[in-house]
Amino acid sequence: MVGAAEEIQLNRLESQVEHGGGGAWEYLCLVRKLKVRRSEKVLKYGLAILKDPKKRSKLGGEEWTLYEQVSLAAMDCQRLDVAKECINTLQKKFPSSLRVGRLEGMFLEAKGSWADAEKAYSRLLEENPLDQAIHKRKIAMAKAQGNVSSAIELLNKYLETFMADHEAWRELAELYVSLQMYKQAAFCYEELILCQPTIPLYHLAYADVLYTLGGLENLQAAKKYYASTIDLTGGKNVRALYGVCLCSVAINQLSKGRNKEEKDSPDLHSLAAKALVKDYKQRAPTKVSLLTTTLQNMKLLS
Amino acid sequence: MADDLVLDTAIRDWVLIPLSVVMVLIGVLRYFVSKLMRTTQVPDAKVVREGQVVLRARNLRAAANFIPAKSFRSRRVYYGNEENGLLHVPKGQAQNAQAQMLSDPNMAMDMMKKNLSMIIPQTLTFAWVNFFFSGFVAAKIPFPLTQRFRSMLQNGIDLSTVDVSYVSSRSWYFLNLFGLRGLFSLILGEENAMDDTQRMMQMGGFGFDASKSLSAEKDSLDIVQHDWALPRLEQRAEAVLRKLVK
Repeated sequence: MVGAAEEIQLNRLESQVEHGGGGAWEYLCLVRKLKVRRSEKVLKYGLAILKDPKKRSKLGGEEWTLYEQVSLAAMDCQRLDVAKECINTLQKKFPSSLRVGRLEGMFLEAKGSWADAEKAYSRLLEENPLDQAIHKRKIAMAKAQGNVSSAIELLNKYLETFMADHEAWRELAELYVSLQMYKQAAFCYEELILCQPTIPLYHLAYADVLYTLGGLENLQAAKKYYASTIDLTGGKNVRALYGVCLCSVAINQLSKGRNKEEKDSPDLHSLAAKALVKDYKQRAPTKVSLLTTTLQNMKLLS
Repeated sequence: MADDLVLDTAIRDWVLIPLSVVMVLIGVLRYFVSKLMRTTQVPDAKVVREGQVVLRARNLRAAANFIPAKSFRSRRVYYGNEENGLLHVPKGQAQNAQAQMLSDPNMAMDMMKKNLSMIIPQTLTFAWVNFFFSGFVAAKIPFPLTQRFRSMLQNGIDLSTVDVSYVSSRSWYFLNLFGLRGLFSLILGEENAMDDTQRMMQMGGFGFDASKSLSAEKDSLDIVQHDWALPRLEQRAEAVLRKLVK
């Protein structure tokens, strides 16, 4: 994740490089460190360094890292000729390297020759059956081909071994949601919450899934998770506020006639509605009337 | 008297400096040899998996209160059940580290290589020092020391009348052997420091027992009391909103 301060630094460096102020190498290093995807810029400035023998030799051993970075960026921009050149150079330097092998597989992927890429990855996996990056490439490949169910299958197999990889859990959850398999998705989001209990995003997504599943129990839980999102974001998350409103309406409808069990937080939803109105007044005054009528229809606002 | 003892400059040129240089060179050489002999350890899938299971179970234990009770219970059963739980270690399979080491020749081989690269040069240099430079004073440190340092600084000289600030050649060898760590970490890089003392310590705690940590994790998971934190968070959210609306 990219923090705000790092982002500012990155943008400052980028504009500096753009206006010819130098510092291209520092910019590329920062991009690599933060793992941001600015392929066009990386390709442009990285290639400029690589084409200049004097600058290139100044990097020393880092030169090869730059080749790798540029080839990845080139693949991202579909400049396959550049990518091929870089990979060839790396291949000459490190003939039997796993990392270069991975790059070659990705190059085949970028060309769209899935079968060849598959073969290349399988060969690499035979030697290193525990290389996480290659497993992930295979999953990404299945996803890129639109084969979501096989991607899920691969991802499940991957998670059997690397079950503490929360990014993989997140990917799996999103895949399940895209296939409307909400129960499975809910499990994945639970896993994510267990991994990082203070990230409101996971609470929010879990609440969404629970709300979509429906049923009184799930709705109540969903409302609680929307509430926890509000707590974790300090009430700044509009989606969570709406979620609380919708959940309480749905719960009211379902539990009509029965005794209400809303003893924990009786006026959470009306508070959420008020917070929504206040937020809209500040940021989108033209939409306030729309919001108030909607909320009044839901009987959340008097 | 000790003050009368004048050290020949030839001793400095032919003993003190060569000895230090040789020690450094041997350290560097040993580093490269052990780098050549080192096999890249291919991690075993089972070991990786066990590590990840422990990690995940630890997460579950730490954040149990953030998921609904039903989800927590199903997970606990999934981890700890007696048939195929992830954390459950069948009694027969719980082999100890010793047996594992014997069954895996690679492991023993690795250890032997490590030891060989450490012991052989050490015995050779010690023999060399003993043979050529045994029993005479090689240096003088510029400050006086108490008698207790005699065994450290005057190894190989059996004279109790010599002032303690004189260092015998064999002691100089030992001082170099253990004292060059900082220099090695400078020239060979921080993590590549040829650290004999550390290595000796590592040998003691060799082999990590996965089954033990698995069952420990299972035990601590069994005693976790699940107390869903979300109702509390709901109240906190209410307080947050109240503050916001005001």
